[in-house]
Amino acid sequence: MTDDDNDELEAPPRDEGNDDWYGDADPRVPDASGWPVRDLGFLGDDVYLGEEGHVPPEMGGSYVPSAPDVDSAELRELERRMEQHRTPVFPIDLRRRLPLEGVWRRWRALAMWGRSDVVDDFGRDPRATARWEWLFEFLYSRWFRVQASGLEHIPSRGRALLVANHAGSLPYDSAMVMHAVRRDHPARRDVRPLVEDTVFHLPFLGPIMNRIGGVRADPENAERLLLKDELVAVFPEGEKGMGKLWKDRYRLQRFGRGGFVKLALRTNAPIIPVAVVGAEEAAPMLGKVTWFAKNIGIPWIPVTPTFPWLGPAGLLPLPSKWYVQFGAPIDLGAAHGPAAAEDRLLVNKLAEQIRTQIQTMIEGLLSQRRSPVLSAFLG
Amino acid sequence: MSPAAPSSGRVVAVTGACTYLGGELLRRLEEDPRYSKVLALDIRPPALAPGGKVEFIKVDLTQPTVDAELATLLSRYKVDTFVHGAFLSHPTHAAEWAHELEDVGTMHVLNACAGVPPRRLVMISTTLVYGAHPKNPNFLSEESELRGHRDSRFVNDKVRAEKQVQRFAREHADIEVCILRFAPILGPTISNMYTRFFSRPVAPVMMGHDPLMQFVHEQDAAFALTRAVEARCTGAFNIVGKGVLPYTTVLALLGRVPVPMPQIVARQLTKVLWATQLVGSPPSFLDFLLYLCVADGQKARRDPSLAFSPRLSIKRTILDFLGIAPEDGATDVARAQA
Repeated sequence: MTDDDNDELEAPPRDEGNDDWYGDADPRVPDASGWPVRDLGFLGDDVYLGEEGHVPPEMGGSYVPSAPDVDSAELRELERRMEQHRTPVFPIDLRRRLPLEGVWRRWRALAMWGRSDVVDDFGRDPRATARWEWLFEFLYSRWFRVQASGLEHIPSRGRALLVANHAGSLPYDSAMVMHAVRRDHPARRDVRPLVEDTVFHLPFLGPIMNRIGGVRADPENAERLLLKDELVAVFPEGEKGMGKLWKDRYRLQRFGRGGFVKLALRTNAPIIPVAVVGAEEAAPMLGKVTWFAKNIGIPWIPVTPTFPWLGPAGLLPLPSKWYVQFGAPIDLGAAHGPAAAEDRLLVNKLAEQIRTQIQTMIEGLLSQRRSPVLSAFLG
Repeated sequence: MSPAAPSSGRVVAVTGACTYLGGELLRRLEEDPRYSKVLALDIRPPALAPGGKVEFIKVDLTQPTVDAELATLLSRYKVDTFVHGAFLSHPTHAAEWAHELEDVGTMHVLNACAGVPPRRLVMISTTLVYGAHPKNPNFLSEESELRGHRDSRFVNDKVRAEKQVQRFAREHADIEVCILRFAPILGPTISNMYTRFFSRPVAPVMMGHDPLMQFVHEQDAAFALTRAVEARCTGAFNIVGKGVLPYTTVLALLGRVPVPMPQIVARQLTKVLWATQLVGSPPSFLDFLLYLCVADGQKARRDPSLAFSPRLSIKRTILDFLGIAPEDGATDVARAQA
C-alpha cells in the first residue's frame, strides 16, 4: 500500500447520491437500493430478494439458498426476516455514522495529518519519520556537528547488528546513530534501535521513538527484525549506560548478559561495533536522585549542570562535538556457528571481547581531542 | 426432537449459535454439502431460516445438568465436530452469570465431550487472553503465557476456560482439539466490545501512550473458523488481520475525537462511567490502550491444514467497519472472496 491510499479520506459525501458508501451500495444492508425489491407488503420495503430469490454468496447474501423453488426460498427469507424482527439488531447505519457528517469527514482528514495509514510491523510510521527529520538533521549537523566515520562497514543490504556504547539521560545517541546511517550511508538504510523499557514506556517520548523506528528491547523483537534483514542497533549497557555519572564517562558498563551475542549467533548476523563520543558531555550527569524518582515511574532523576535548575529546558543537550565511528564487521556466526549461542562461557567471552573493542575505539577517538573539556564542545 | 440419523456427511454442533461467528459458521456449513447436519445450540434460535440442515436445540450452559444433556445430544446425533463458541463479546455487569456461562459452561462442554468423544473440538477464544502487558513482545506467539488481566473478569473467565480446554487436550490425545484466538473483530455487521467502543464519537487516550493495535475483519474471522472446522489442525492458533496501526491513527481513520487524559483521571472516570453503565468497558480495559497486545498469525498461515491468511488489511477493516467502500466501488468482502 502506498500513501496514495489516503486519498479515499476525501470520499464524496453520501448525500450527493454517490454509491461509494455502503449504506447505498452494500446489499448486506437491508435497505440497499441497488437490488430489486419484491413487495412483501406487511414486512415493509426493507426486504430485498434477488431475481430468483438469490443473493450471490460473495455479496454476503447467502441466507437465501439458490434453490430452484422460488416459493420456498421466499418463505425461508420471510421466516428469517420475522426471526430478525423478533430479535432486533442494532441498526448498522446509526451505529457507524456520526451526526454532522461533513464536519466529521473534515475532522478525519485533519486528524490524519502528519501520520500515514500504513505502519510497518513494529510501528514505524514513514510520515511521522519525515515529520521529525528536520529536528534530527538540526541536531546532527548543527547542534552536535557529528563526524561519522567507517560507514562503509555497514552492508548495503542484509542484516547486521550495530553494538554501541550508551550515554546521556535521553537517548540522543541512538537517534544520531540512526540519522548517521540514513543520511550518509549510500544505501540510506533505516536503523532500528532497540529501546530499553524505561524509555519505551515514557509518556510522549516512547510513542515518538516507536513511530520513528524504535523497537522495545526484547530478544523476540530483535530476532524477528534481524530475520527480516534489518539493521538493528543495540546498546547493551542499557539503563546502566544511561545512568553513568560524569566521573565514569566513557567507561563501558557490563554488557547486559550477552544477549546480543546470542542474537548474532542465532540469526547469523555480523556485529558492527560502534563508538559514540560526545554524548557524555551533552548531558553530563553530576549526580542522580533515586528516592523520589521511583514514585513517578522513572529509575532516577538526573542532576546535570542545567537540570533541574532550568526546569524542562535543562533536559536539552549541551552542544558538544560528537564523533561516531563504525568498526569492521565481526562475523561471529561464521566463526562459531549458531549452536554456540547455548555455550554460556563462550557467549560471555565474546561479549567481553566486543566490549573491549568498543572501549578501544572510544579511547582512540578521545585521544584525538586535544583538551578534555574545551575540545569536547569546540571540536 | 427427531433423532434424524445422518446417513453420510459430518455432523457439527455449535454452541453460541447466536453469536456473530456462530451464525456465520451455520450459514457457511448450511451451504456445504459435506456436512449433513448442524446443531445450533443456544438459548435462543439463530437468525436462520428453519428447514435446512440446521436444527436449533435450546441449550443453556449455565444449567447445572447441561453436561448430561449435551452428552445425550452428542450420542444421539453422532456429532463429529463440536464448536464451542458460547462466549460473551462484551463485558457485562452480571459477572456471576458470565462466570457460569464461560468458565463453568466450558467445563460442562468438556464433560460431555469426555463422555461421548467427538472427533474434533474447536474452541473460539480471543487474543485478549494474552493480556496487555509492558513486557509483551511486539508479536505474541501461541506459546506465550496467557497472562489475562489482573482485574478483568471478562478476560480472566476466558483464560480459565481456555486453560481447561488445554488440559482436556492433553488428557484426550484422541480428540483433535483446536483453539482459535481471534484478534478483536471489526466489521460492518458484528457487535462486540470494540465495535461499541469505536462507535462512540469520542474515545479516551492515555496521555502520552499510543500502543499498536490489531484487528481482524469479520469475514476473515468467519472464514478462519470455517476452515478450522473442516481442517485437521490441533493446538492454538492466533487469527489476526494484516498489519498493525497505532491507536491514535485508528481513531483518526475512524474520525473519532481522541480525549487525552492522565491515567489516574481516565481510570477514575471509567470506573464511575462503568458503574453507572454509561460505558461498555470496565476500567481494566484501559490497559489495552496503554500496552501492546498484538499476536502473530504466522502459525495459522503456515499450518498446512488450516493455512489461513487474512485477506483484508487493518485499514480496509476499519474502513469497512465505517461503511466506506474502496474507490473502485467493489466491497472489500466481495474482492476478498473473488
